[in-house]
Amino acid sequence: MDKKISRRDFLKLGGAGLVTAAGTAAAMTQTTTNNKTEHKSHLLQPPMQMDHGEGLPGVGDVDYVKNGFNPSETLYDFDYGTVSTLPNGQTLREYEIIVINKNIEVVPGIEFPAWTYNGRIPGPTLRATEGDRIRITMKNGSNHPHSMHFHGFHPGEMDGVPGTGPGGNVQPGEQFVYEFDAEPFGLHLYHCHVFPLARHIAKGLYGAFIVDPKEGRPPVDKEMIMVMHGIDIDFDDGNDFYAVNGIPFYYQNHPIQIKVGEKIRIYLVNILEFDLINSFHLHANFFYYYPTGTSLTHSEFTDTIIQGQAQRGILEFTYKYPGMYMFHAHVTEFAELGWNGMFEVLA
Amino acid sequence: MTNQTSPETTNRFTFRTFVLLLLPILLLAGVIYLFLRTGGGLDLQSPVPIENLTIERYYLERGHIALSVQNTGPETLTVASVIINEAIMPFEVTPSADIPRLGRATIDVNYAWTEGEAYAVRVFTSNAVPFDVEIPVAFVTPEPEAKTFWSFTLIGLYVGVIPIFLGIFWLPALRTLGKNWMTFLMAVTAGLLIFLGLDTLNEAFEEAAELPATFQGIGLIGIGAVAAYLLLEMVGRSQSSDRSEASQRLSIAWRIALGIGIHNLGEGLAIGAAYNVGEIALGTFLVVGFIIQNITEGLGIIAPILRDRPTIGQLALLGLIGGAPAIIGAWIGGFSPSPFLAVLFLAIGTGAIFQVAVEIGRFIQKDLNREAMPVTVFSGVLTGMLLLWVTGIFIK
Repeated sequence: MDKKISRRDFLKLGGAGLVTAAGTAAAMTQTTTNNKTEHKSHLLQPPMQMDHGEGLPGVGDVDYVKNGFNPSETLYDFDYGTVSTLPNGQTLREYEIIVINKNIEVVPGIEFPAWTYNGRIPGPTLRATEGDRIRITMKNGSNHPHSMHFHGFHPGEMDGVPGTGPGGNVQPGEQFVYEFDAEPFGLHLYHCHVFPLARHIAKGLYGAFIVDPKEGRPPVDKEMIMVMHGIDIDFDDGNDFYAVNGIPFYYQNHPIQIKVGEKIRIYLVNILEFDLINSFHLHANFFYYYPTGTSLTHSEFTDTIIQGQAQRGILEFTYKYPGMYMFHAHVTEFAELGWNGMFEVLA
Repeated sequence: MTNQTSPETTNRFTFRTFVLLLLPILLLAGVIYLFLRTGGGLDLQSPVPIENLTIERYYLERGHIALSVQNTGPETLTVASVIINEAIMPFEVTPSADIPRLGRATIDVNYAWTEGEAYAVRVFTSNAVPFDVEIPVAFVTPEPEAKTFWSFTLIGLYVGVIPIFLGIFWLPALRTLGKNWMTFLMAVTAGLLIFLGLDTLNEAFEEAAELPATFQGIGLIGIGAVAAYLLLEMVGRSQSSDRSEASQRLSIAWRIALGIGIHNLGEGLAIGAAYNVGEIALGTFLVVGFIIQNITEGLGIIAPILRDRPTIGQLALLGLIGGAPAIIGAWIGGFSPSPFLAVLFLAIGTGAIFQVAVEIGRFIQKDLNREAMPVTVFSGVLTGMLLLWVTGIFIK
C-alpha cells in the first residue's frame, strides 16, 4: 500500500480513467451465482464429474490401494486386539504397532511424506473395555525416534514422553511395550510425543483410543470413528488441507450410507495441528453429545460442537427423513479445503 | 605486407587453423560427457525438488477463471491442485498437467467469482510446492472485440497522440524566438529526454523484476538499451556526412520522435496491462494532468527544427511516430501482455532516448562554437528535467 508511485503508476491511473471516461469499459454485468439451484443433485456425484458451472470445491479420488487404507473401512474399523485372559482373570488385549514412513496420496497427484502407525492415517482405532489390560508393542521402523503417548490413566514410564524412560523416545529399529489398565472409560486418543511435537503429530502419528464402560453403552445400529486432522503439505506450519480419517473430501465423494431410524454413534476426535479449533456440524438434524465419552449422560443436544486439539466426544443421532445430508466443519474454510462429507440416508 | 609474412599466417583458414579452433570444443564435449556420466565427483542430486511455475496472466470470464502459466524451473513439473480463496477447486490443464521446462499451459477453473472482489489463487505441484497469484479486483477480462479495441485506441490517443500534437502546435510561436532561446529549448528537450530515459530505465528494471529468472531481465535490458543506442548512433553517423545542417536537424527530430514513440509504447503496454488486472481508479483529473505532462514531449520533438520549414506532412508524421505507439502498446498490453516484450521495449526506449539526448548535446555544442557550458544550456537542461518532475508532483 505504501508503495511509491512512479510515473507509470500514474499512467495506469490516468489510462484507467480514460477507459471509463470513454464509456466503453467492458461489460461488467453482475455475475450471478446460481449454485443454490440443483445443489443436492450435484453433490451426489463425485466432484470430478460435477457440473463445473456449480463451482463446488472438491477433488476426486486418490489411489487407495497404493495408500494401503481406505477411509470407508477406517470408519468402521475398531481394533480390539488379540484377546486372552490373564491368570488373575483380567482380560488382556495385545496390539502390535509399527511406525513407518510412508508417502500417502492425500489429494489426487500430491503425495504427503507421512509418518504413520501401521501405514495409515489415522493410526488404528484401539478399543478395549474399562479395566482390561492393554499391551502394545510399538516397533519403530522409521528413521526417527517416536513414541506412543496415550490419554488416560497409566504409570509415568508408560506415558510415552521423552524423559519418562525408554518408552518416551523409541529409537529407529527398536521397540517398546506399553502396558497399562484401560481407564477411565471414554473416548481418548494416542499420538507421538517426541519433539518437535507439532511436526510429529502433523505428519500423521495419531489415532483414537476407545475405552468402553464395563456395562457397555446402549446399543446402536452403527458405530463410526471420525478423526479430524489437517495436512500441512508444504511444511510451513499451516494446514493446506483438512480431512476426516486421512483423505480430504472422501465422504463427500463417497457418502456414508445409513437408514432412516437407524441409531448412529460417532466417536469424534480432533487432532488438528496449527489451527486452534475444529468443529462438527450435522445438517438437518441434532445429536446428543457426550464430551470425552466419560459419562453415559449427554451434556448437550445440538447440531454443532467445537473441539480444540485433543478434545473428543461421542455423538448420537437418528435421521427422520431420507436424503442427502452434509456434515462438515463449521469452520467453513476447513470444509472447503477437505473436511466435508455426506450422509446418504436411505428410506 | 603479405610478402614479408609467412604463408601460414597469411592464409587464415588452413586446415590446421580449423583443427586448432575445433580442439577446445571437442575437449569441452569430452568434459561435459564425462561430467554427465560420472557427476565429476560431486553429489549434485538435489534433496528437494526445485520447481518454478510462473503464473503469467489470468483471464476471467463469468463463472470461469483461467491461468496462463509457464514452467520456468529446471525440470518437468505437474500441476496437482488448485485452491481459490481457501477452497480446493476442480480444474483442467491444457495441453497437459505435466508441463515441461519452459513449456506453457492453461489452467481452467470453473468458479463463480463475484464482480469487484479479491481472489487468491494457489497452485500446488505434485511435489507440494505452492505458487500463488492474486486477483486484486475481479472483473471480466476484456476480449479483443471492436468495443474494447476502440477504447484502448482512445486511451492511446489521449495519452500519446493528442499531447504530442498539442506540443507541436507551439511551432509557429517558437519559430519567432531568437537563437539563444532556441538553444535553450534544445537544452530543455535534452533535459526532458534525460528524465524520460531514467524513468524508462527504472520501469524496465521494475518490469524485469517480474520476469522469470530464466529470461535474465537485467541482461535483456542491457542488450535492448545498448543495441538501440548503437543502432541509432550508426544510423546518425552514416547520414551526417553528406547532408545539410537542416536535414541533420530533421534527422534528430525523427530520432527524438522515435525514442519518445518507443517510450510511449512502453507506457501504452503498462496502461493496457493495468486495465486488465483491474488497477483502475476513476480520474478525469488525472487524465488532464497526464495531457499536461506529455505535451512537453511534443515540444521536444519540434525543438531541433524550429529554424527550418518542415511540411505539414512531416510534422504530422513526427507526431504520429511519437504518439501512436501508445495506441499499439495499449492494444498489446490489453490483449496479450508479455513481461518479456515490455522489458525489451522499455530497454530499447531507454537506449533510444539517451542516444537522442547525447545527439542533441552534440548539436548544441556545434552551434555554440565551442563555448563550454553557457547558462542557457545549464538552465535549459535543468528546466526540462524539472518540468517533468514538477508536473509529476502536481498530478500525483
